[in-house]
Amino acid sequence: MLHGMNKQLYKAIFSFFYLIGLSIFFQNSSFSQSLPDRISGSVKDMTTGEVLPGANVYWSNALDKGVTTDTDGIFSIRPIDLPAELTISYIGYTSTLRVITEKELGKDIKFFLNPEAQSLEEFVVNEARENSNVMSLDIGKTNLPVEVLKNIPALFGEVDLLRGIQLLPGVTTAGEGTTGLFVRGGSADQNLIQIDGAPIFNPSHFFGFFSVFNPDALSNVELYKGHIPARYGGRLSSLIDISLKEGNTKRIHGEGGIGSISSRLTVDGPLLSDQSSFIVSGRRTYADIFLALSPDENIRNNQLYFYDLSGKLMFRIKDRDKITISSYYGSDYLGTSGQFGLGWNNWISSLNWTRSIRDDLFLDVKGYHSYYKYLIAFTDESIGFEWSNNFSESGIRGEINWVPSENLSLYAGAHSQLYHFAPINLNLAPESNLESINTNPKIGFLNNLFIDGNYDVSPVFSVEGGLRWNHYQQIGEGVNYLYENNDPANGAVADTVRFGFGENMKTYLGLEPRLAARYLLSESLSLKGAYNRNFQYIQIATNNSAGLPIDRWMPAGRYVSPIRSDQVSLGIFKNLSDNQFELSMEGYYKDFDRIIDLKQGAEILFTDNLETEILSGVGWAYGAEFMLRKNIGKTTGWLSYTWSRVFRQIDGINEDQPFNPRFDRPHDVSLVLNHKFNKRLEFSGTFVYTSGVAVTFPVGSYEVDNQRVPLYGPRRNEDRFPAYHRMDLSVNLKNRDRGRWWKGSWNFSVYNVYNRKNPFSYQFTDIYNNDFRVDPSPEDVITSSRPGVIMTYLFGILPSVTYNFEF
Amino acid sequence: MKKYLYLNLFILLALFSCQEEVHLELKNMEKIPVIEAIWTNRSSVNKVSVTYSRDFYDTLSNEILSEADVSITNLQSGNRIEFMYVDDLGHFLPLNNQVAEIGSKYRLEVKYDGQVYFSEGEMLAPPVLDSVTYAFSEEQFFRDEGYYVTVYGKIPFDRDNYYRVKIIRNDTLLNRRSDYLLFDDSFGTSILDNGFELGGFAFEKNDKVKLELYRLNQAPYNYLNQLVNLLFNDGGLFSPPPQNPTTNIYVENGNGRVGGYFVTSPVLSETIKISDEEK
Repeated sequence: MLHGMNKQLYKAIFSFFYLIGLSIFFQNSSFSQSLPDRISGSVKDMTTGEVLPGANVYWSNALDKGVTTDTDGIFSIRPIDLPAELTISYIGYTSTLRVITEKELGKDIKFFLNPEAQSLEEFVVNEARENSNVMSLDIGKTNLPVEVLKNIPALFGEVDLLRGIQLLPGVTTAGEGTTGLFVRGGSADQNLIQIDGAPIFNPSHFFGFFSVFNPDALSNVELYKGHIPARYGGRLSSLIDISLKEGNTKRIHGEGGIGSISSRLTVDGPLLSDQSSFIVSGRRTYADIFLALSPDENIRNNQLYFYDLSGKLMFRIKDRDKITISSYYGSDYLGTSGQFGLGWNNWISSLNWTRSIRDDLFLDVKGYHSYYKYLIAFTDESIGFEWSNNFSESGIRGEINWVPSENLSLYAGAHSQLYHFAPINLNLAPESNLESINTNPKIGFLNNLFIDGNYDVSPVFSVEGGLRWNHYQQIGEGVNYLYENNDPANGAVADTVRFGFGENMKTYLGLEPRLAARYLLSESLSLKGAYNRNFQYIQIATNNSAGLPIDRWMPAGRYVSPIRSDQVSLGIFKNLSDNQFELSMEGYYKDFDRIIDLKQGAEILFTDNLETEILSGVGWAYGAEFMLRKNIGKTTGWLSYTWSRVFRQIDGINEDQPFNPRFDRPHDVSLVLNHKFNKRLEFSGTFVYTSGVAVTFPVGSYEVDNQRVPLYGPRRNEDRFPAYHRMDLSVNLKNRDRGRWWKGSWNFSVYNVYNRKNPFSYQFTDIYNNDFRVDPSPEDVITSSRPGVIMTYLFGILPSVTYNFEF
Repeated sequence: MKKYLYLNLFILLALFSCQEEVHLELKNMEKIPVIEAIWTNRSSVNKVSVTYSRDFYDTLSNEILSEADVSITNLQSGNRIEFMYVDDLGHFLPLNNQVAEIGSKYRLEVKYDGQVYFSEGEMLAPPVLDSVTYAFSEEQFFRDEGYYVTVYGKIPFDRDNYYRVKIIRNDTLLNRRSDYLLFDDSFGTSILDNGFELGGFAFEKNDKVKLELYRLNQAPYNYLNQLVNLLFNDGGLFSPPPQNPTTNIYVENGNGRVGGYFVTSPVLSETIKISDEEK
């Protein structure tokens, strides 16, 4: 049964979508023609037909009357006294000038730009306006163009989006070999990673060694870590907004690569007409082949692979409407001897419709579904099992963007999200003596309304303000356990209350104000500030630092509150040498409320009573981020330094006192360089230096139950690993361009050039016979035993080669 | 089941990782007493040992505390059983070889240097251990070739189901970290009904295998579980922050630290000899 509150909410949501429908239904061409006070059109690449987002469109004799094209390459500009000359420019392309007369008012005008011949020698990392670093309201936002990403030297030559993001200030990792991101003090589950607007639950392959994104399939990546506009929400610490590439509308085009551990292929082109396109992209590893060559039978019998597939269809209807359908499927499998297997899959689909309702009114509607599943199977007559689980998020989101004047842009919309966490499924072998477990589904229903606006108060002062209102419910089907003294931490289960599908189990409301301001001190210098509040209604119950494929997500409910963060950030942004260099310094303070950790010895994988295993508390983080970035010229890249601290305070941990989580790494330096020697040869290098992770080392040892056991102090994470540092280099050599349809290039990269042994773990254990490799079995003769420390490190110097091609 | 996941993880790590022994500078903490008290209905396993912790890199044996006053009191009858230090063994034994009685609750007290360390536990009724058999198995990926033992019995309880199996091969307790066998009723109580095969332990012909089945209270069961997790904790990304197992021994005035655990448990045991013929 739906409660009264729900009905009101649903009315509001449905009203919103209804109004959207009405506005589209009743708007007609005569209406749009009745307002011929704008000139609109699109900007595209002449050779590929791809739209050019971020192109500058301005009147040649009124440079301040300019706009930029949106993500679909569409612009709308107010006319000045006509006829007048309109300039369309885009970095890397030859500018176009065109005289506009009154006859063209209200018409759609198409501009096609030619790529500049010399653009191969220029390296453009930011497609936005050259001084957008200073001019925009963005604070704590970084764009990572895919071309830049592809130039960063990569582990095994596998270009990796999340590893690239780890090189940005404010983003740390909990250790080598993981793609988990920790942004401004937030844990890894506080990042919303979305592909074309659909979230992805587990963004990693091979337990986090690689991320799930095939770089050839990506168009753009934006990281929001400071100010997140109110039209986005759902996680506390960051939004990583990834757009899949759209196919070009001119010709069949392909690109791909044959690498050390995987190969990839992407094909795109027009679909039926030049108004629609397709792109399909695939990647698969072949580690299985190498495993088969191993002399060790145990390794030889393993299966180990991942693959991913993605595709996107685009249909443009009369330049006013665009529909895209995107899908991504990724799969991992690790198996041993056909007896044991572990696999996981992400499957994400989204449908997006954008419409220019009028020259100043735009609509964006999106529907999506994200599904994640894992399966662990062990084949054995008596102790075999199949253990699987799945969860999903389905959503629909509508957004209206109204630009009533050049200095005001407004957004309003609604977003409904349905989280479904299925019961754990455990099938035991027929002869098994174990009994299966019984858990219940958990369903969260989150509805958001948002309004957001940018306003240029004066030529030097701009503000962006927004509100996001959340209405969250845990709904049935599900079970609430009632505990003695209403205390799940200590009390036994006193009663069980079952809820039917759709019944309200628990409601939370949240209001998220978001505010940002920019003050221009000069054309190349600005001050910015922002305040953001975020709520998050689902989180992972874990006490390890790396994401595992079997992580247990937990929606807010009767005993687990949504988590909340408040962040204040200030920044100074300066461009130097005619916008060749961008300099920024940002500081932030962030407060976390009701974050969770696990009790000691918590068993969370199979229990239906997760609330009995968790502890709750607060956290805070602060830091300063410095970044110098060069975007143009033969040498490009960035140098960043972050000083930051992260604290948690949770009753029941660290004697109830504040402690640093593992990913508190105060100093973090990244240097990313790329130099193009000529059209064929380019060099890239990265260097990273990070304080060691915060850990707990033993302070002694004792003997109990015939074991020598390390003794730990009462405090958590008061020790540190040694600092982490590493240098990677790569060279990219393009084959001579003889005008053939096939273009090839070789990438040679070396990971960890100076073979730094960065510790992955330290094990405090007994060393037998003076040899740390001895793991004594009862048959072994033990001549000596002493305490010792064994360090495990992952990757020494690691060369790799990749052949990339394009046709 | 979790261990299978980690097994895969370790295989993956093994492909990419290297190891070496290193020396880390470690802080040292003032030594703390560690009490290990086993109180059962079988006199041969009963004992209380009190030792001190030491610096991590020390190679000397842990200092043994022999001066303490150790006793266990039956909280229902009030009967107080004194313990006496036995030099040769390095631990305390009850006077007159007394043993725990099924159904009784006990309080352990260790007095030393003005401090009183105490714990309490209940001697629960034992499950049923019917028989132990064995059968030969060829080598498979997850098991060596050898004889595997199966335990038959019955768990007739609907609560306090926390069990430990100790395996003694040819009079030697198997005590590697991978030899711990602890189970509760998370997966039901019918585990012994149709035979519980001890899958991780391959025996050879002529081995004498002794099994001891303990029914523990929850606190010492948690202690042992956390102990095993700690022994496998490599301090890496995939491990939780290491912590000492939660002791069920307390300091009476609330100050001071202590480690170890007090277990009160019935013991069932069975011994078989592996021969050619399967049994």
